[in-house]
Parts: sequence; structure tokens; C-alpha cells
Amino acid sequence: MLTFNFMTMQKNSLFILFITGLLFTATSCKKDYLETAPTNAVSSADVFKTTANAWTAVNGIHRMLYIQWNGNQDQGGQSANMIYMDMLGEDLVNTAQANGWFISCYRWLDHRNVNSRVPYFNYQFYFKIIANANMIIANIDAAEGPDTDKKIIKGQAQAYRAWSYYQMVQLFGKRFDASTANDTPGVPLVLEPTNVPAPRATVAEVYTQINKDLDDAIANLTGYTRANKSHLNINVAKGLKARVALTQQNWTVAAQMATEARQGLSLMSNAQYLGGFNDYTNPEWIWGSKQQEDQQTFFYSFFAYMSCNFNSSNIRGNPKAINSVLYNLISTTDVRKQLWDPTGTNTAFPIPPGGLRRPYMNRKFVAPGGSGISIGDVPHMRVGEMYLIEAEAKARIGGQDAQAAQALFTLVKNRDASYTLSANTGQALINEILTHRRIELWGEGFRFYDLKRLNQPLNRNGGNHQLSLAVVFDIPAGDKQWEFLIPQAELNTNPLVTQNPL
Amino acid sequence: MLMAFMLTAFSVFAQNKTVTGMVTDDKGAPIQGVSVTLKGTKTGVMTDADGSYRIEVPSTAKTLVFSYVGFETWEQTISSQNSISVQLKPGQSNLDEVVVVAYGNVKKGDFTGSASQITSKDFQNRPLTNVTNAIPGSAPGVQTTAAGGSPGSSPGIRIRGFGSVNASNDPLYVVDNVPYDGGLANLNAEDVETITVLKDASTTALYGSRAANGVIMITTKKGKKNRNTLNFKLMQGVSSRGIPEYDRANASQFYVMMWESYRNSLLYAASPQPLAVANQNATNGIKGLLGYNPFNVPDNQIVDVNGIFNSSANLLWADDLDWTKELVRMGNRKDATLSFSGGNEKSDYFGSFGYTDEKGYIIRSDWRRFSGRVNINTQPTKWFKVGINLSGAVNKSNQASDGSSTGLVNPFYFTRAMGPIYPVYLHNQTTGEYILDASGNKIYDYGNIQLPGMPFRPQLGGRHNLAETRWNQELFKRNTLSARNYADVIFTPWLKFTTNIAVDVTDYQGSSYQNQIVGDGAPAGRASKEASKTTSYTFNQMLNFNKKYGAHNITALVAHENYDYNYNYLYGFRQGQAVEGNFELTNFATINSLTSLTDNARIESYFGRINYDYEGRFYATASYRRDGNSKFAPDVRWSSFWGIGGGWRLDREKIISKISWINMLKLRSSYGQVGNEGGISLYAYQALYGVSNNAAEPGFRQSTLPSPELTWETGKNFDIGTDFILFKNRLSGTIEYYNKVTDRMIFDVATTISNGQYTISQNIGSMYNKGIEVELKGDVIRNKNFTWNLGINGSTIKNRITKMPESNKEIISGTKKLKEGQSLYDYWVREWMGVNPVNGEALYRADVWNPSNSFVDGKGDTVTNSINNARYHYAGTAIPDLFGGISSTFSYKSFSLNFLLNYQLGGLVYDATYASLMHAGAYGAALHTDMLKRWQNPGDITNVPRMENSKTGVFDAASSRWLTGGSFLNVRTITLSYDFGKSILSKINASGMSLYVSGENLYLFAKRKGMNVNQAFSGVTSNAYTPSRIITAGLNVNF
Repeated sequence: MLTFNFMTMQKNSLFILFITGLLFTATSCKKDYLETAPTNAVSSADVFKTTANAWTAVNGIHRMLYIQWNGNQDQGGQSANMIYMDMLGEDLVNTAQANGWFISCYRWLDHRNVNSRVPYFNYQFYFKIIANANMIIANIDAAEGPDTDKKIIKGQAQAYRAWSYYQMVQLFGKRFDASTANDTPGVPLVLEPTNVPAPRATVAEVYTQINKDLDDAIANLTGYTRANKSHLNINVAKGLKARVALTQQNWTVAAQMATEARQGLSLMSNAQYLGGFNDYTNPEWIWGSKQQEDQQTFFYSFFAYMSCNFNSSNIRGNPKAINSVLYNLISTTDVRKQLWDPTGTNTAFPIPPGGLRRPYMNRKFVAPGGSGISIGDVPHMRVGEMYLIEAEAKARIGGQDAQAAQALFTLVKNRDASYTLSANTGQALINEILTHRRIELWGEGFRFYDLKRLNQPLNRNGGNHQLSLAVVFDIPAGDKQWEFLIPQAELNTNPLVTQNPL
Repeated sequence: MLMAFMLTAFSVFAQNKTVTGMVTDDKGAPIQGVSVTLKGTKTGVMTDADGSYRIEVPSTAKTLVFSYVGFETWEQTISSQNSISVQLKPGQSNLDEVVVVAYGNVKKGDFTGSASQITSKDFQNRPLTNVTNAIPGSAPGVQTTAAGGSPGSSPGIRIRGFGSVNASNDPLYVVDNVPYDGGLANLNAEDVETITVLKDASTTALYGSRAANGVIMITTKKGKKNRNTLNFKLMQGVSSRGIPEYDRANASQFYVMMWESYRNSLLYAASPQPLAVANQNATNGIKGLLGYNPFNVPDNQIVDVNGIFNSSANLLWADDLDWTKELVRMGNRKDATLSFSGGNEKSDYFGSFGYTDEKGYIIRSDWRRFSGRVNINTQPTKWFKVGINLSGAVNKSNQASDGSSTGLVNPFYFTRAMGPIYPVYLHNQTTGEYILDASGNKIYDYGNIQLPGMPFRPQLGGRHNLAETRWNQELFKRNTLSARNYADVIFTPWLKFTTNIAVDVTDYQGSSYQNQIVGDGAPAGRASKEASKTTSYTFNQMLNFNKKYGAHNITALVAHENYDYNYNYLYGFRQGQAVEGNFELTNFATINSLTSLTDNARIESYFGRINYDYEGRFYATASYRRDGNSKFAPDVRWSSFWGIGGGWRLDREKIISKISWINMLKLRSSYGQVGNEGGISLYAYQALYGVSNNAAEPGFRQSTLPSPELTWETGKNFDIGTDFILFKNRLSGTIEYYNKVTDRMIFDVATTISNGQYTISQNIGSMYNKGIEVELKGDVIRNKNFTWNLGINGSTIKNRITKMPESNKEIISGTKKLKEGQSLYDYWVREWMGVNPVNGEALYRADVWNPSNSFVDGKGDTVTNSINNARYHYAGTAIPDLFGGISSTFSYKSFSLNFLLNYQLGGLVYDATYASLMHAGAYGAALHTDMLKRWQNPGDITNVPRMENSKTGVFDAASSRWLTGGSFLNVRTITLSYDFGKSILSKINASGMSLYVSGENLYLFAKRKGMNVNQAFSGVTSNAYTPSRIITAGLNVNF
């Protein structure tokens, strides 16, 4: 048996020192012991090391268009903006309260409440895309890889930045009016990765930047053949330019760009028109989000609110309907009239188990996987819209009514075989074009933007809006309520930003 | 054991005579393991199995001290005799109680820090599935929330206030001396010997970077030398809801108020209808909006045009309106533990096997646990000692779906929010009879169109919580294995090397299924599986030194430690069920999600401690720890933590030792700096892009910005207190003051939204918590047959934020606004100004004068009906003025009765669940009976606005209206037990046997019926599993 009692103090101390030293050195760790890294993320530096990696940063933005934001059920990316825009208009009708989603937006309360998530989302979502685009624009030139790839990657980032600013400035700024200086506050212009807050640039400055980015994008994307329609190519960039020009009342550019944006694409067939607006391989789609099975969108999907058939509480109780006033303007021979059921009894309209049928409910949007799966491709730009832009722009240029009517004819003849070339001119022609625009783009997120762009009032009277549900029926054109409030969260952290009139 | 060894080791000093004797308890039974020491020295021996001892006594020694846990310490003057036998009284004196501290133990009398220790006898008869439920009310300075009623739930615990805003406020849990990463519900409460709450910095400093929120040390049982025992314990109980439901309006009241809600939305619309028209439309249309007519009168005759309920209307399905009837059951709880322990000169052992099965009072909520533990220590030679403490648990639990306060699968939300007119089962809408299926069974009414002509329920239509709860599955299985191994090398009596290797492994398997028929999974049916494995290793090497130089006694420790945490996660989610009853993923067609990840975190540490005392009068301690942590960037990842403390035993000073009524009086104080890293993301300093694939194409999006300076929060904790025992050990207590300052407090500072809104965790804030803690324990009556002792504790917290980020001087979050000079839990809400008697509108104090929505009321206040123009104000705090517990034990002969109360005075509760029942008239949603006091006619003076469907969200907006006094008194537990006498024990050859009944959560006194007043530190209530009341009978036999 070992015992240490015999040791002298001195020996003992030495022995202990030895043992201790040995043990402590043996167990002290290697230098990299404290280096750890996540497995579900990569470092920012690695993303921009090569162009091959940087492609993933572009794909990351595409995906942002259909992920859930802030854990909110009404915020499934771009489709949230689309639904908000139609909820604020008069053409979309809620048929019941159901589980209440979007109802206070429908009542014009949310976008005028600084603490509501509606202004918050529309501000945050686009600025998040801008931040990601800014990282690409700032870092792509230094990446290893072919210049052609760098141009394409950068071009898409520029197009995204332009689109984001365009979507946003229309909400938070005043309407762009080409006859004025547009020097009222728009949104902050942040063009590079930074933590330094910026004040709101003027509406004019924001549009100048949007146009610059689009022009750069068009140059950079020339010659790019994309893998699929979730990517932004030159058609998309030109389509965006057409939209922006229309909003800026720059009719010539709008008409020109709308024409160019549809090159290589065609209108869809009537059968495809009744196919549920959920497939981005449709020949008419210029740009859309592709969704796949293992990227489920559950109850925050566009189709969880706007389709007729997905099994959500919202759709079961509140299938979305068209304003009967607008419905009655549709020709009976028009294929588009088949998208809505005025009776609320047509069993050809697919509904979820136990779902309600309501008069004027839609089947424009159908969840392709049936009532159990909410994923479906979401359209962001179609050829039909380009014809409408071309027609409207030409009708407003003056002296090109015939060409305008012809552009409208190409579109509407496709939808309605009995349609004949319009004999309207002037304002009557413009009105006809705008009516077709309302019919054609129903539910695709244009209505609030259009009403504001056109400086028209909100008018929900005379149709099927319910008094106690809609509450708000009239908002005068140009009212301060057409401006979204800047979210409180931005005011809290950015002292340079001013609020819109409360 | 350590103590025993030392005592033996020190008994080799000058010897003059030998004293022998025997130590027995009050019933004359010998006690083994009693420490017999020479007063004022560490020299001593222990009694052996027959209670005898033998000690060498120097001629200078005057007094022998006999002490043993659970008995009063006895001092015996040494006279000329060589034989001293004593009888120890069971009792109060806790001076010699061993307090478990970081990396060692200390006798309470010598302890200079602040700790509260709860021992097994305090909770042994309580039905605790999760042992942390022993803490509420039992420890001063510890604020707790009520654990949810779901089996296995633990209470929230805050030690001396709230240390952080964005990092964790949870204490560090240490099980058998090693930080524990498993859930505490893995532990069998029967295995636990002590729960020690370490509060001050000098006591916690040895846990360095993880100590700032305090430390809870859980120590399991060990065998005792020469005391072989076998213990069997059986508990059987029932569980039920601990807090009643809110009072809600009945069917006729509800219908009338909904009529009014609709009528008013027509009457007060922007383009209003005339009163008569609106009345008629409401009478004709209300059934259409509510969907169901539960009465035996036509749809348009339920409520007349004057808003009066039809007196001849009777309910068609009165017996089928209670949604909780089949969701709630009489829960039950079974608990059995067999344990055995013992030891000899060289070894000791403890083993146990336990089974706990608790069924909650909501169907499909339960917890079943098998647990086992072996704790063996042996010292085969003089210089080497080794031990292993191995435990495992197999847990299986069905979980109630109460995770989301407004989740449709949450039974508490669903049943609370369901209007009182909707039946659980399908009924013939005319006759009220049940509609039966082909087999003659009732059919759940999902509230959608299941059959032609059936109505649609606007509230939660197409959903059915009872059916979903029955058909869905939320299940987990969790297997844990914990090992604590150590080896001591004893070089000399005063120097010892110890190494510990500890491993905790948790295997978790979650299984979730949503059925095809109704709910989130319908119509496809979907299932997910989650598998995770958490492994953490702690490996340390320590040198312990303990030596006496005359009157100077020094113990010291130097050590090195590694901590390595590894987490593996795999998740799969599919939908499209093929075959019924099979919940494996292969049975589902579509892959919704398939993902995995691995996380690693590591800490490396060097630490040491020196304890010094002079003649047992003056004490000093100093601790130091240096930690390197992988969460932080290389340049800042190493930091030092330290603590110092001192104590003065005044009772050992001559002047005071003469005062007969002072048995012990100690002054102590400590200060130190400790860290907090809990809750900070494992990779918080790194700039990262997260996965963001676009369909089949790989993608990443920016997720975090770099934060190279990020490091620990620093807790600077000061503490001063006095411990005393007075009046012949009849009264003991502690009074102390603490000041806990958090510096370098972490804020997750968001870049502004227009800069992409990336949060960066930065050390930029400061906050303090100050307070007083008082604990008193006394024997009120101490007779031969009857004793009554009473313990009471109370604590205060003053919490203030002293520094906010420059870029975010004010942060509004929910009902709170963080700001310098305010506390973490100060309410920031609209200021409620009552109801306008003219039109019944909700009024708030106006922020600015705006002629379109503001006016000056009768009191001269400018008020508004616009929530956007409503002024926010600080409306009080959720932090109570005083909180604590009261405990008491009455013993009469063989009976004993004890109770524990838990109280809070002051503080406000934001009763959000009540607010959701006080809405302005969402069709179909249940209403509180307080809505009966709503405004109805001009001139009505009330605090409840008018019903109006289109004003929900405006009239019932978040405001000070929902703040309610938070004082409460909770009867946490009452136990009545009976100890069988010797005559019975001898017949069954047992050494002890007791029978008892015990109840948990027996009653809650609070300001509003239904309000779960102690639900959250933030004071905000939500729909969650209401705490359960468990009443148990138990039998405890010792052999």
C-alpha cells in the first residue's frame, strides 16, 4: 500500500507540483478548443469569396419573397403586400369576418396605426431585400469568378433594389405627380451596407435612384438566359421600368418598356386562365415565385387567404369575392367572368371541406395541391399587365388612341373571343382600359397602388361590401390616409426619420 | 465523508486523556455519525454504528461539542469523568447543517455568503413531479411564477431580481456539483437531498461566467456509514384545476349583447342607419351573424327590436354547451420509490428506483418517468478515494397544446373563447336533438357545413378542440443519463487532488401528429418527428488544501475545468397520410421539411478559492475564476470573475457570549463580479448568412452582423447580512440587504429598419436590483407532546435600468417600455379614461388636441376616442412590493401538520386573458359577465364601453384598463402526517412508518376569479395550462 506519510515536506511539495503541472498541462486545451461555428449558416465573408457562392445570395433574395415574416400568419413575403393592397381597395370583398385576418386592414385601420404590423411589414420586408441587395452590390466585384456572372448577379440585385424602393415609396410617400417637384419625404435611401441611419429622401430622389438602378440592371442583364422565372432577367427589369414610368406619368417610356418586357413571351390560353394562377411555367408569366414541397408555407401562404380551396379557417369562413359592381362590368363571353360565382352555389368551384360558399367568391386562385397543401407559385409580373400598361400609356400620350386600342384588343380578344376593337377614344378609352385592368389584375396586389397612382377615391358603395364588416366605404382622393404611417419601430431607432401626417 | 476524513485526520494532536461515551436520540436509539469535537477546534471523531465514540482530549480542552444534522447541537463540559454519554434532542439548530456551495461544502455557522437551503424533509411528502416546485415560497430573495398545470412543469425562478433584458435571467442549475443541461423533471424528487440557492457573488463566483443570475445547487442523497436502510414510499393522488375559469356570460345574455354589437355597428356606422331600421336589422340578422340559434324560437324572435331577450325562449342543447366537460378529467398521480443506502468504514452506497406517473386534468397530458440512481463512494486505501453517481431516467409525456396563447389547438384558449351558444356535438337545429352517425354515436360539430342546412360558426369555425385534442398527438420521449465520477488522491491529510468527470446525455424524441379530419392537419393529415441529442461533458482537476496554523485555519482550492456542449438535431415533417393510425413518416406522402443541425459550445476555466478563519471568529473568503468562452470573439473571450466575503461571529466575542439569549450572531458581507452568458446565441459575434434556398436552388440570406466586442454581462453583487439564533435556539433568522448591479448589460440593438434591421448583441446597458430579505424561523410552542414552529420570509426588489443604448434610449415591447430610471417591468400603455356617458365610446387621455377625435371631459382632462391619439403613460409595475412565503409545522404526539403559503403584495397584473373576454363584440366570441355592465343608453355611467362589432380593437385596445392588483396568497401545500408507534413498527420489523395526505395549490386568493395572477414575471396573463391542484395520500416505510 502506498502512503505519502513518509515524505518530507519538501519532497511532498515537489511531487505535488509535478503531478499538478502534469495534469493541468494534459488537460489544458488546444488553441482552437474555443473556436466553434454553426452548421446551418455560413460566414458573410465566404458568401462573397466566389461568384459561385454569390449566386446563393441572389437565390436567398428570391426565397425571401415567400418565407414567413415575424412569425405572423398574414406575412408570407411578397404575397402579404399583395393581399394588403387588395384589402385596401374596393374590388376585393371579404364575405365574413372568419378568423379575422386582414379585417382591420380592410377597414383602413392598420396602415394608419404606427404600431400595427402592416406598415411595419411593408417597410421592413423591402428594406431587408434592399440590405441583401446592397451586400451583393458592394461585394460582388471583389469575388473570384467570371465577369459575366458578376454582371448578372449585380443586375438582379439592382433590379431587386429598384423594385423594393418602388413598392415602398408608393406607400410611405405621397403620390408621384409629374406636374410637381415631388420634394415631399419618400423613404430613406440606403445604397450600401451600413449601420448609419439615413433620413427620408424626397419622393423625386427615390424615383431617380429607382430609375438608375433599373437602367443599370437592364444593362447588366442583357444577354442573360435565366434558369427559371423566379430569377430576374431583362424582361423583368424592363417590366419594372414600365411600371415605374407609368407611375411617373412618363407615358412614352412606359409604353416602350411594356412592349419590350413581353418579348419572347405570350398570353396564356383560356384553359390556362382557369387553371388557378399557380404555375410559373405559364407562358404569360414574366416573373413569379416557385414554391416546392419542402418549403411549405402553411397558413401564411398567399393561397391560404386568396384561393377558394385551401383548408384554412380564413377561407372556410371568408372566401374572397369580387365587388359585384366590377363583376357586372365583365362581358358574359369573357373567360374572366368564370373566375367568380355570383350565386354562391356553383359546385364547380372547389372549396375546402366544410367551407362556405359565398356570392361572388373567386376561383381565380386555386391551391394546386388541393385543400391540404397551401403551396403554389405566386405571380409577380405577367404579359397581360404589360399590354395594359402599353394601352394606358399610349392612350394618355395623346394621338395614339388607335395603337392603345390595339394593345387592349390583343389582350382582351385573348380573354373574350367576342371582343371587338374598341371604338372609344380619349377618357372613355382610358376608362375602358382601367376597367380591364381591374378585372385582369384582381387579387394580384395592384389595386391600392392603382387608386393612389390615379388619384382616385376609394368607393365601395353599391356593391356587395357589408356595412358592419367593411365599415369604411369612402376615402377621398388625395386624403392623408393614402399614406402609410412610418412604423414606430423605425421612429424609435432612426431619429432622422419624420412621420407622415397623423 | 470529506468532513469525517478530516476530523479523523486532525485527531492526532497532543493527548492527555481518553473520553468515551455513547450518543443516543431522544428515544434512546444510538445515533451513528455524530460529530464529537473539542470546542473551538477541528479536532474530533464520529460515533460508530452503536452510537459510541472515543476521543483523545488534551488537558486544556474544556468542552465537547456533539453535533448531528437534524438535532440540536449539545455542548458538554469535560470534568474529571472519562465517560460522557449524551442524548441529543431533535431540533432547530442549523449551525452545523452543511451548506452545499460551489465545489465543496461548508458548515452553516462558518458560511459567509448568502444561500437558502431546502432539505428533503421540507418537501418529502409533497407530490412533486418536478423538484424545483419545492422552491416557491421557501427561499427569501427568490421570486417565482406558478408552474403550469402540465405534468412536469417547473416554476419560473428569479434570484434577487432581474439581471438582464435580452440575455437570460434564469439561474444556473448545478446537479451534484456539475452544471446540468437536462430538464429538471428528469430527476426523481425522492433522490434529492438538498436544494441550495446561492445568491451572493462570493458564493457563486466559482461558477464565473454563468453565475450572475444565481445558482441552484441540487444535491442527491448518499449512503451513511453503518446505517443500512431500506425505504419504500408510495403516493397516490388526484389532480384537478387549481384556479377556476373566468365568469362568462350565458347564452341569453350573450345573444342580447351580440344583438347590440350588430345593432350598434349599423347605428354608429359612417353612414348610419336610423335607430328603428338598425334595431329591426339586428333582430332579423343577428342569427345569421352568429350562425346558430340555440333556442326554440324562430331566428328573428330571439332578441326583439328593443334588444330584449325573448322570455319564452329555451335552450335546445343546454346540456351540450360545456366545451370543457370532456376535455377536463380527474387527473391522477402515482409515485413509488424504493431506495436503499448504507456504508461501512471504507465505502458507502445509495441506490434508488422510482416510478412517477402523473395524468394532468386535461385529457392527453401526462408524464411518466422511470428513474434510477446509484451513488457509490469508496476509499480502499488511505490515499485514494473514488466515487460514481450514476442516474438515468426514461420519460414519456403527452403534452397539452398550450404553447400558443391563441392557438386553436390550445384547450384553454379554445374553451375560454367559445361563445356560450355553440354545441360540442351536432344537433338538429330545429328539435335540438343530437344527430347520430350510423353507429348511433354523437358527431362532433366542427362549426362548418358538415351536413346540408347546418350553420357555420363564426367563432373558430371548422375547428374543434375536443376532437383535435383526442385525435392529434404531441408526444415526447426523453431518456437521460447522468454520470458524475470523481477520484481523490490524498497526498497528506491537508492536501488532496480531485478530478471529476461528468457527462450528461439527453436523448429527445418528439412526435407530433395532426389528424386528417379537423384542424391544422386536415384534410391531408401530417406528422413530424424531432430527434435531438444533447451531450455535455465537464472535466475538472482540483487541488484542495486544508491546514491549521495555530488559530489560523486555511482551506484553499486551485482548479482547471473544461466544459463541452454538443447538440444534434434532426427534424422531419411530412403530410398526406396514407393509412389511419400510423404516425410514422413513411406513412405520409409529401416532405414538408427535413432538416438537421449541430451546435457546439465550450468553456475552459481556471479557478481557485481561499477560505480563512481565525479562531472560528473571523472568516474571510476569496474566489477567482477565469473563463474562456466560445460564444465570444477570440480577443474578448477570456475574462475574470471574482468574489470576496467576510464574516464575524459576534457570539464568540467575550462580551456577547455572556448574553445568554444570544446563541449565535454573525455579521457577514460579500462583494464580487460574476458573469452571465445564458441566452446569448452560440455564435453571436459572427457575421453570418443563413440558409434560404430558392426552390431547388441553394441560397443564403444575411442573418447577422459581426459583433466582435460582445462579451459577458457583468454582475457586481454586494451583500450584507446578519444571521442569528436567539432565545435558547427558539428563534433563528437572517436579515440581509443586497445590491446587484448588472454592467455591460447586453441589448440586442437593432440597426434601424431602413438599414436592414439586423440585431447586434452589444454590452451597453446597466441595471440594478436592490432589496431586503428577511427570514425568521421560530418555535412558537415547544412542549413534550406539542410543538409548533413557524417560518416566515419576505423580500423586496427595486429594479432600475440605469443605462440604455444610445441608439435606442427607449425600447417599447408589448406592454412595457424600457427607459433609464424605469424598471424592466414598468407598464407603458394607453391611459384609460373611462367611457363617454354620451355615446359609450372608450376614452383615452389624448396625446395631442385633435378636434376630430378629442374633447375636454367634465374633469378638465383632454380625452380622445382615437387609439392612435391616445397617450401612453407609465401605469405602474409588475414587480411586487413584497413577496415571500410562510411555513409552519404543528406536531402533536404522532401527528404533524405543516403548510406552506406563498404570497405577493402589490405589483400589477395586465390581465390580457380577461381583456380578450371584454371585447366590443366579435361575433361568436365568449364574453365576460363584466360586459353586462356595458354602456347602453346616453347617460349611463359605466367603465365598460358599448358593444359594437366594428369597434373591436378600438374600444378594447391595450390600455391601463386591463391592469389589476397583483397581490395574492397561494396555499401551496398542506400536509398532515401520522407516524406509527413502536408497537406497530416492531410487528412489521420496520424502523419507521408514516401515513400522510398532502395537497398542492390548494387555494389562490387573488383579485379576480380566473386570473392566473402569478403566471409571469412580466405580469401579463395568457391562455395556458392553469396550475393544477394535486391531492395525494402517501405511505412511507423505513426498514
